[in-house]
Amino acid sequence: MDPKITEVSQAFERFKAAFVRNDFDKCSELLSQLKVLLTKFKSLPPLFEETPNAIHELTLARDIYEHAVVLSVKIEDLDAFERDFFQLKPYYTDACGRLPQSPQEYLILGLNLLRLLVQNRIAEFHTELELLSAIALENPCIKHAVELEQSFMEGAYNRVLSARKTLPHETYDYFMDLLAKTVRDEIAGCNEKAYDSLSVNDAQQILLFSSDQELVEYIKEHPEWEIKNGFVYFKQARESEPCKEIPSLQLINQTLSYARELERIV
Amino acid sequence: MAGAATMVSSAGGLLAMLNETHPALKLHALSNLNAFVDYFWPEISTSVPIIESLYEDEEFDHRPLAALLVSKVFYYLGELNDSLSYALGAGHLFDVSEDSDYVHTLLAKAIDEYASLNTKAAEAHNESATVDPRLEATVERMLDKCIVDGKYQQAIGMAIECRRLDKLEEAITRSDNAHATINYCIDISHSFVNRREYRREVLQLLVKVYQQLPSPDYLSICQRLMFLDEPEGVASILEKLLRSEIKEDALLAFQIAFDLVENEHQAFLLNVRNRLPSPKSLPSESVHSGSPEPGSVQSENTTTTEDVQMTNGSQVDGNTSSPDPREAIYAERITKIRGILSGENSIQLTLQFLYSHNKSDLLILKTIKQSVEMRNSVCHSATIYTNAIMHAGTTVDTFLRENLDWLSRATNWAKFSATAGLGVIHRGHLKQGRSLMAPYLPQGGAGGGGSPYSEGGALYALGLIHANHGEGIKQFLRDSLRSTNVEVIQHGACLGLGLAALGTADNDVFDDIKNVLYTDSAVAGEAAGISMGLLMVGTASEKAGEMLAYAHETQHEKIIRGLALGIALTVYGREEEADTLIEQMTRDQDPILRYGGMYALALAYQGTGNNKAIRQLLHFAVSDVSDDVRRTAVLALGFVLYADQEQTPRIVSLLSESYNPHVRYGAALAVGISCAGTGLSEAISLLEPLTSDVVDFVRQGALIAMAMVMIQISEASDSRVGAFRRQLEKIILDKHEDTMSKMGAILASGILDAGGRNVTIKLLSKTKHDKITAVVGLAVFSQFWYWYPLIYFISLSFSPTAFIGLNYDLKVPSFEFLSHAKPSLFEYPKPTTVPTTTSAVKLPTAVLSTSARAKARASKKEQDKTNAPKSSGAEPSAGKGKSIDKDEDSMQVDSPADKKAEPEPSYEILTNPARVVPAQEKFIKFLEESRYVPVKSAASGFVLLKDLRPNEPEVLTLTDAPSSAASNPGGSVTGQQSSASAMAVDEEPAPPQPFEFTP
Repeated sequence: MDPKITEVSQAFERFKAAFVRNDFDKCSELLSQLKVLLTKFKSLPPLFEETPNAIHELTLARDIYEHAVVLSVKIEDLDAFERDFFQLKPYYTDACGRLPQSPQEYLILGLNLLRLLVQNRIAEFHTELELLSAIALENPCIKHAVELEQSFMEGAYNRVLSARKTLPHETYDYFMDLLAKTVRDEIAGCNEKAYDSLSVNDAQQILLFSSDQELVEYIKEHPEWEIKNGFVYFKQARESEPCKEIPSLQLINQTLSYARELERIV
Repeated sequence: MAGAATMVSSAGGLLAMLNETHPALKLHALSNLNAFVDYFWPEISTSVPIIESLYEDEEFDHRPLAALLVSKVFYYLGELNDSLSYALGAGHLFDVSEDSDYVHTLLAKAIDEYASLNTKAAEAHNESATVDPRLEATVERMLDKCIVDGKYQQAIGMAIECRRLDKLEEAITRSDNAHATINYCIDISHSFVNRREYRREVLQLLVKVYQQLPSPDYLSICQRLMFLDEPEGVASILEKLLRSEIKEDALLAFQIAFDLVENEHQAFLLNVRNRLPSPKSLPSESVHSGSPEPGSVQSENTTTTEDVQMTNGSQVDGNTSSPDPREAIYAERITKIRGILSGENSIQLTLQFLYSHNKSDLLILKTIKQSVEMRNSVCHSATIYTNAIMHAGTTVDTFLRENLDWLSRATNWAKFSATAGLGVIHRGHLKQGRSLMAPYLPQGGAGGGGSPYSEGGALYALGLIHANHGEGIKQFLRDSLRSTNVEVIQHGACLGLGLAALGTADNDVFDDIKNVLYTDSAVAGEAAGISMGLLMVGTASEKAGEMLAYAHETQHEKIIRGLALGIALTVYGREEEADTLIEQMTRDQDPILRYGGMYALALAYQGTGNNKAIRQLLHFAVSDVSDDVRRTAVLALGFVLYADQEQTPRIVSLLSESYNPHVRYGAALAVGISCAGTGLSEAISLLEPLTSDVVDFVRQGALIAMAMVMIQISEASDSRVGAFRRQLEKIILDKHEDTMSKMGAILASGILDAGGRNVTIKLLSKTKHDKITAVVGLAVFSQFWYWYPLIYFISLSFSPTAFIGLNYDLKVPSFEFLSHAKPSLFEYPKPTTVPTTTSAVKLPTAVLSTSARAKARASKKEQDKTNAPKSSGAEPSAGKGKSIDKDEDSMQVDSPADKKAEPEPSYEILTNPARVVPAQEKFIKFLEESRYVPVKSAASGFVLLKDLRPNEPEVLTLTDAPSSAASNPGGSVTGQQSSASAMAVDEEPAPPQPFEFTP
């Protein structure tokens, strides 16, 4: 066995042990080491060189990155999630011909879809979706994300929130929390457009808060909202924009230059 | 198995890795991205800010790599400026020797950038302007690489553009063929270096390099020195050659002198001549003390006397002391070279050539004369102009002498031009010029006699005869100018003086002319304005300001116009130096001054093809409110572009379709000027539709321009030449044609056959140097729109198309060489013939209604004429003869057809001196067993011949005239008799008898 692979494998074992212990600091530290070690392998993307241990190395690297993604969810670090996911992705897309499919693949892809949904990056969400095969779409993890998105787009926010009860995997929990927040922001945005003001009770209900306290907290995040006499006033930049001044000077200049150009047509 | 084809589909993973905290990961990502950037730049481009921040991160170890990556991405995005600045940040990672589009593009960009920075710094004279040292380092790396790889031409181009003269020198000295490299360098410095000052620097460097070479090419060096205006250098080279033991060196010196003369730079030649050291021994001293004043050594007459004195001197010398033989040889050579530099030899030889080879066709003139209505004075004078142009420099004035009666109908200004025409015919007849014109000249003090018009014309004629070689006649013209206050005479004297003293910037003459200007007489003032310009050509003197001030002061349009042109002439060839003045003129309220501004642009940037000038001219051509200015702006394009003729038709083609007839006229003349004598097919195609324009003056311009383009092009090389000749004839014969276009047609037939069919219009000398006289001549010629007598200025632009071989004694030995092309390609046009009766059937009825008077006169002429080809056998009826000329085309087509029966030889033997038209030059070969070998391989012009068999007797052809002229040292004093005997050839016609005008 290649000493490098042994080294990586051993480090990975330690990582997994720490992961099971939920010792996330240790995990992050080990992961960083692992990644540096991985750069030594020529068989990995983007080089994909044909080495005798290529398959083994690829599998190992994929495994590491899959763990890295899950770890990032556990430590609730979206940036790390994105980073690790992208590094993992070539193993799914480009190396699929050489490696057996990973059991974790759909779970991770589903997580990624959910992340995009949470971050309200709908366009990217659909791009990712298009890349998936028909079989993949049948997978419960993916299906879950797709259904959520549909409800979200319809505006059936209650269905989004109720989907919590049917989680395909425990790691999805974190994203559902975030999703609730995203949904609330959407509703708030609609409210601003739809109403000048709402009674506190109605607002609480519409925004799906369980108590006034939470509502007040939420309102604090929006400086242009205001509570007065038991009503919430949405005073965003409603006042119509002042009538624009006619750019007379510019128009005159333009017309003159047209005239001059016409004169030049010879 | 699929692994071989495995390829990443996205750079997303690598990009994500950039955000990792560990530097090793960043490095890994960067180096991989750098390898894949060609495929994934669209993806990477969204992450450029991250990479940029890496580059800016002081603590990151691999900043150059980040910079290189960013640079490549920007390159793909087309943001070359950003790309370049990051590439510079990449330092040595940016490999100039890499063979990729990226590197090529960026290098080009870097060099451009560096060149423009350096240029800007040099132009602002701001040494402190900072050039990024990294940029400089990159460019230097590139230059060194080119030099090491032996790509000297690239290196030279870059070095010149970047103003790195040190590198230029290195490239030239290290190249294996220094001569070829230098020649390449000269070419590009003329065609691509726009700034005049900088071009001087380059040339100075070249001269320096040249002189370091083991076998210097003196011909080229002297040309460069002339451009740099360094007469000392030329003089010292000439002296070195003349003092040499070897005869060939002396021949080379003579050749250099002839080449310098060809460039017509009068002031420079004078300087060289004055700087040539005289022989050290006694005789030379005596020569010099013998000549009246050191300053006037240059005058033609005195040179001849000097010649004589020289022989005297050496005789005396032989008597007294034993002379140093080397000094004696040197003295003899220096006399010769002084003669050459004075232009005297070349003028004389040219005159002989033009006279002996004159092939002008009097029948054409006759046809014109007969078809022109007497009462139409415009066409009448046009015929006189045409005669002058046709015989320019040939001294053949048969036509005038045969038609004195007809000539006498010219009155007033027509008489002025008729007299001045003699000057064109006798152009270059320096020795007898004054005596020829004597009958018409104002008689000092006598107070009686001729009309002021013929007197003024005669003074103008003297100027034309002595154009650019006026040392001998200047004083006389000045006296004439001062002693008269008749404005017509002043007009003639001013023009004459301007011509004779062209470009000498003589302050005394200037003051005389200025006095005339301040009399504020419209006629004299106009000529004075032009004359001042001629005098100050290319000096950019502050006198221009004075002239401009007066132009604002005076009320006379004519004076303003004269001054405007004069001011334009002063900035001739000064390029950027003239910008202030041009700006001032083009912004003036007065359209006439703006019009002068156009000429200033034309002349300041003549032949440079400068983009800025072209842009400005095009701008005025379409946006000025005055038609005159627009016309001139288009016309001026011709001057700016003449060095690159192919461009002109393309640039003005749109303008030639303008709705404005003035713009069309300008376009026609622009093509005529810049493509003159080339027969360029595009030019002809552009002019053809204009010759049948709806507006008469456009037709006039197009016909003249066409003639200029087709001059000396034979029908065999372009069939449209024949068609054009027939078109001209048709217009001249057509009674209903407008006067303007008829005049154009008459002039065009003159230009087409100018100088006895032995001259062409050439604005560039063989060494690609602008011929100042020619350009100035055409510029003033284009003024004929306002003032017909200025038509004669076109004669300044004529240069003989001759090969004249000379031996050591500057004689023309008999010598044969080969023209390796079909003779018919370059032969003279067939003389027009009197048609036979068979073709008379096609007579158009309109022509038969010619007035009886014209018929009678014509038939009388015919009887008078004994030797004319016309009287040989054909119908005596003048009416028929005249009208049947129309059918010559069929004749001309027929005769070559007959010839074709026998196969035409593929070569032709020419005898020295021979007519060699520009297109023929590349076919000229020298015979191998020939006795004479040319010093430099040139196919036309004056060529010194090396005699391989010096012991055999030489057979001289054509001209012993120089010696016979020398034997007649007092040549200028006697009257007509001496002038008749002066030309060694027996058939030399006497000048016309003085004819009386009946006012």
